[in-house]
Amino acid sequence: MVATFLAALGVGVATYIAIADSGGSAPACIGGSGGCQTVAESSYSHVLGVNIAIFGAIAYLLLLAAAWGRGDLARMGGFIVALGGFGYSVYLTYLELWVIDAICQWCVASAILMTLLFAVNAVRMVRYVGEPA
Amino acid sequence: MSAGADDRRRQNLLKIASAAVFLAVIAVAVLIVVSASENDGGDAESIEGAGEVNRRLGGIPQDGMVLGDPSARVKLVEFGDLKCPVCASYAEEVIPAVIDSQVRTGRARIEFRNYTIIDEQSGPAGAAAIAAGEQGRGWNFVEIFYRNQGNEAAAYVTDEFLTAVADAAGVKDIARWQRDRQSPKATDAVASSTAAAEELGFTGTPSFAVEGPATDGLEPFEAYESPVEQLEEAIAGAK
Repeated sequence: MVATFLAALGVGVATYIAIADSGGSAPACIGGSGGCQTVAESSYSHVLGVNIAIFGAIAYLLLLAAAWGRGDLARMGGFIVALGGFGYSVYLTYLELWVIDAICQWCVASAILMTLLFAVNAVRMVRYVGEPA
Repeated sequence: MSAGADDRRRQNLLKIASAAVFLAVIAVAVLIVVSASENDGGDAESIEGAGEVNRRLGGIPQDGMVLGDPSARVKLVEFGDLKCPVCASYAEEVIPAVIDSQVRTGRARIEFRNYTIIDEQSGPAGAAAIAAGEQGRGWNFVEIFYRNQGNEAAAYVTDEFLTAVADAAGVKDIARWQRDRQSPKATDAVASSTAAAEELGFTGTPSFAVEGPATDGLEPFEAYESPVEQLEEAIAGAK
């Protein structure tokens, strides 16, 4: 239930960033901060020409599917996707703080959601491992 | 399932999870180390692409930051930030085609205006370009700067780097250029064009506007999806 809610929120955040980028602009930072624009303009916002928010949206959709699923594949799959998303979020946060030198509030929101999803999926997986099959 | 089989299943899942965590930690560490060791660019000792840029712009009139026949009825304005990597991509992949098809043929002239959004070094870089424009080498400066652009987060826009770019751009009187780039005229021009870009509603760089007999002053337009065609269409529509 919690995983479903967090993943759905993540889909919304990533989709908003991807839509803003496809329109040639940047997501709007609350309070008029230019951080979102600086981050969106940076070379790190795209991988192989694709906005990383699209990869984020795909990851959140997979986590949504994993949250609904049962069995080894859903639980372990959810854990691994959340682990990958969490790891990449750590890297992106490092880039924002020490390389790009700007903070995008939408990226922070996504990083928080991915961290929570990693925690939820880790607990879910560890509990599952302890259950009799 | 038997107790033994259940144990094996549990151990296998834990092994997979542990391996995934280990790999993730290694991957993140590698990404961070690679990112930290990347060349920051902006090397004053090895300015590249000057020959190609100077050849491409050769024979085209320049007045300040305007490139092209002064009598051309349509003016295309690029609002850019010299530290913006997307602008550098446009400088290499889009603008040369537009210069060849529109500027060299006299259909339009093109003006570079600073819209400083990256950091505090964007302003001095833009002022240095304007100072080069005072000696008819503004576009050479901009194009060579883009071809030698460093990592946008790096503080590579030093006096040494700017001077190397100006020299490669063919700025003859470097002492005058040094004075001009720090003059209020140049720094004010950067601030006013940035304010003008914001008034036009732009939120990123590069942004474009066109002015001609068929427009009501400077009209912004988008050139993101197929930029060369969109720039050419905007020029045709402004005649």
